[in-house]
Amino acid sequence: MAWYQRLRNLMRGDALSHDLDRELQFHIAERADELMGQGMSERDALREARRRFGHVQQQKERTRDVDVVVWLDSLAADVRYALRALRHSPAFTFVAVLSIALGVGANTAIFSLINAVMLKSLPVPHAEELVRVVRKESGDQGPGNPTFTNPLWEQIRDHQDAVDAFAYGDASFNLATGGEARRIDGNWVSGSFFPVLGARPLAGRLLTRSDDNRGCPAVGVVSAGFAAREYGSAEGAVGRTVSLDGHPFAIVGVTEPSFFGVDVGSRVQVYAPICTEAIVHGAASDLDGRSSWWLQLMGRPRNHYAAEQVNARLAAAASAIEAATLPGDWPADIQAAYLHTSLGAEPAATGFSDVRERYSGALFALMVVVGVVLLIACANVGHLLMARAAARQREMALRLALGAGRGRLIRQLLTESLLLALAGSALGAAFARWASGVVVGMLSSRHNQIWLDLGLDLYVLGFTIGVALLTGVLFGLVPAWRATRAAPQAALQAQGRAATSGPARFAITRGQVVGQVALSLVLLVAAGLLLRSFQKLVTLDPGFRREGVLLVSMDGANTGYPKEQLRTMYHDMLERLRALPGVRSAGASLITPISGMGWNGNIEANGFVPKSDRDGIVWFNGVSDGYFATLGTRRVAGRDFGPQDVTGGTSVAIVNESLARKVFGAANPIGRLFRIRNGRGLSAPTEVVGVVQDAKYRRLNEDETATAYLPLTQTDPFGSSMNFEVRSYGDPMALVPAVRTLAGGVNGAISLDFTTLSEQVAASLARPRLLATLSAFFGVLALLLATVGLYGTVAYSVARRQGEIGIRIALGADRSRVVRMILGEVGRLMAGGVVLGTLIALAATRLLGTFLYGLTATDPATIVLAVASLAAVAIAAGAVPAWRAARLDPMEALREE
Amino acid sequence: MERQRNDILQGTLALLVLRTLSVHGPLHGYAITRHIQTASDELLRVEEGSLYPALHRMEQDGWVKAEWGTTEKNRQARLYSLTAAGRRQLEQEQESWDRLTLGVSRVLRYA
Repeated sequence: MAWYQRLRNLMRGDALSHDLDRELQFHIAERADELMGQGMSERDALREARRRFGHVQQQKERTRDVDVVVWLDSLAADVRYALRALRHSPAFTFVAVLSIALGVGANTAIFSLINAVMLKSLPVPHAEELVRVVRKESGDQGPGNPTFTNPLWEQIRDHQDAVDAFAYGDASFNLATGGEARRIDGNWVSGSFFPVLGARPLAGRLLTRSDDNRGCPAVGVVSAGFAAREYGSAEGAVGRTVSLDGHPFAIVGVTEPSFFGVDVGSRVQVYAPICTEAIVHGAASDLDGRSSWWLQLMGRPRNHYAAEQVNARLAAAASAIEAATLPGDWPADIQAAYLHTSLGAEPAATGFSDVRERYSGALFALMVVVGVVLLIACANVGHLLMARAAARQREMALRLALGAGRGRLIRQLLTESLLLALAGSALGAAFARWASGVVVGMLSSRHNQIWLDLGLDLYVLGFTIGVALLTGVLFGLVPAWRATRAAPQAALQAQGRAATSGPARFAITRGQVVGQVALSLVLLVAAGLLLRSFQKLVTLDPGFRREGVLLVSMDGANTGYPKEQLRTMYHDMLERLRALPGVRSAGASLITPISGMGWNGNIEANGFVPKSDRDGIVWFNGVSDGYFATLGTRRVAGRDFGPQDVTGGTSVAIVNESLARKVFGAANPIGRLFRIRNGRGLSAPTEVVGVVQDAKYRRLNEDETATAYLPLTQTDPFGSSMNFEVRSYGDPMALVPAVRTLAGGVNGAISLDFTTLSEQVAASLARPRLLATLSAFFGVLALLLATVGLYGTVAYSVARRQGEIGIRIALGADRSRVVRMILGEVGRLMAGGVVLGTLIALAATRLLGTFLYGLTATDPATIVLAVASLAAVAIAAGAVPAWRAARLDPMEALREE
Repeated sequence: MERQRNDILQGTLALLVLRTLSVHGPLHGYAITRHIQTASDELLRVEEGSLYPALHRMEQDGWVKAEWGTTEKNRQARLYSLTAAGRRQLEQEQESWDRLTLGVSRVLRYA
């Protein structure tokens, strides 16, 4: 019976049983007929026929068992045979399983990250229906703008019927009521958030539409993790009170452990209704803010509307919605643009993710890298299998001669490679779980915890098994085919060895080695580029000295002080900080370096004509006197801010060299004036009183950033918070207790956040660090694997030509000639690999473009370095068999014939 | 005792079935049983329980193939027929059977 028939029988189950039944009943019926012919009554005949047949059910089972038994028997035989063969060559098995484990493990790890970050749908029912509502500027074809104001949200909630929508906004709440802040991530959510998503509570109840009306009481929902940590259990949390930025909220329910909001990678701990924003922010509430863009909208289309219908209906409702929420204080042209904005919907089954935006490119790059590593590993295993198959030529030939089917032999050999692949994959999958956790750890920082659901799901499992099977079959098939092709006669006579000689048979293995060498060169070049980029980023001069600086972020929201009183308080705070023992210098600013935050705008000056609107953008910061000295940013001209720069006095500014160059050209900027364009027109003329060197503002790898620093006394603070930079003599974190006491003494309701400048800068390098570390690891791994492949091939070639070498030595050839011959072969393989690899590298590394800093993708120094390391390792790999060949005793070699 | 009889007959059952099919052409299971009984002058009775497992085993091994057909009495029956591999198997089995019986009778005659 052919294998496909067997497979079909395996599936047919019930139908097969039915067929068998019919067959056996037929038999009984015929027997009964015969007995009736002999004179029995019909009933007696049937009974007798059944009796003679025996137990029908039992016979059915015995017959059915035959099918399964035959199949299982041959499968079991194959597996037993394969296991025995593998046990007899432990070194081979170990290397093969390890190679596959590394390749599969790395691929599974990166894939499970890609799955968690990019592919997985939100853990809610029918996530594929979810859409995001966006604002589309007229004529803009790209993705829409996802942010909304609360007035816009209220209009969209009440005046369109295309989408059953909900709104949410990111928030960070301080659980502490004074002293050091305990921050948790939270979401402002509309009353329709939980109902539309279809989430269910773990305990208590979730927020509903009736919880979200103006003037609502302060209730909230917490996550399962938060409840477990703070209250011991989900049930324990319901009814308790949690303090959000000093305001008590009653917990009415707990979400399920698998629910994390709609932002992949973040871990929302508390959900508060949007109406409670008025309670938390008081007078500064954004509920009626027509220019405060803090909400995002998602929802499910109503009435099974298709995408085009949803878009059309939203667009139709847009103008009325915009007109109702027009910000009256905007300039006319911007108002017109606002009214012309349309609304649309985009698919959003996988939620949103800041993590996705930042890391999807890097993850894809890594996926390519580990894919290449897997290829190299598989090529290695392929070599090993080839060598083994060649060694078992005799055994195969013998079995073929004794009548074994070729298909059966191939099946047995494939079973071996499949077993190896499955063992390697199981090991790899275990390793992957650990490895992906490590990668997430590398990307998280103290202030930016990333949380991903890395649990094994069907996609990842399917991926791993698929890769395993592909590996086993692909790299086992060719050797198996080869091994069973030898004409039995020739193999038996030639004592095994000679039958495998023949340049053609060996050519594919050579090609594989050249390919391996090429691929590992590409990986080495990529690793080199990423490593050197990272090194350049870490060692570049950012325009300030990052070691030894404590960053303190203070928030006086809970003090209840009005704006002016806060300003005075912070001014005093700065003086007191400077007086603390262990403090060298201190300054204050609205924005700290490399925090990711920024404040920019357009300026106008005499003689300054920006090339475009974008070109005219300048970045701002509000700083105290002593800021530059504390950070170590060099002053190039003019003076620092001082007591003469008071609120309401002449507006002054200190600019950096880039701004001076851009706006004032080569002329001396000191004394020159510029005006800042804001919502109300142009500011008063601002005089440049100092110039400082360029310093990195938001990111280490940014281009020249024209920056203007304004005195704190002449800027509006951001809400109620202030940042302080404190340079210490020793470890900056040692100052924390003193600062805490100091702030507590001024006002116990001030909340504090501590970090160091070096930590903040390092956190911004998470992605380049990840890429550099992993690509270096995989580059070295690939090199090792390729070296093993190279070594194996050369060793095998030497073994094969033992006789020939022995003869040459016996005939008087110089041993060094033998070494040169072997090394020559290594050199040829290497050269081929290097040439191919360099060509591929030149083409492929272009893709790394965005991840490189200070280097081009074809940086010659890196390529030369990679080639050199490859050559060194390859020579070492080839040297061992060469040395052994040179030491060959000719008599021994010839005796082996 | 019964087990022993089963074993011997099982080994030769394949031979008998193959021969039956080669003589008769396609037959269903019951007809095969009848033929063996008749042709052996009632000396051999196939235990009906062991016939169908054996037939299925032979089908798995590729010596016979089976198809559904209709008898003269208009009943649906599964008809087994010999394959080329089955023919070869029949020759082999016949050969080994001849050798076996010859050898056994020689030993028995040895006085």
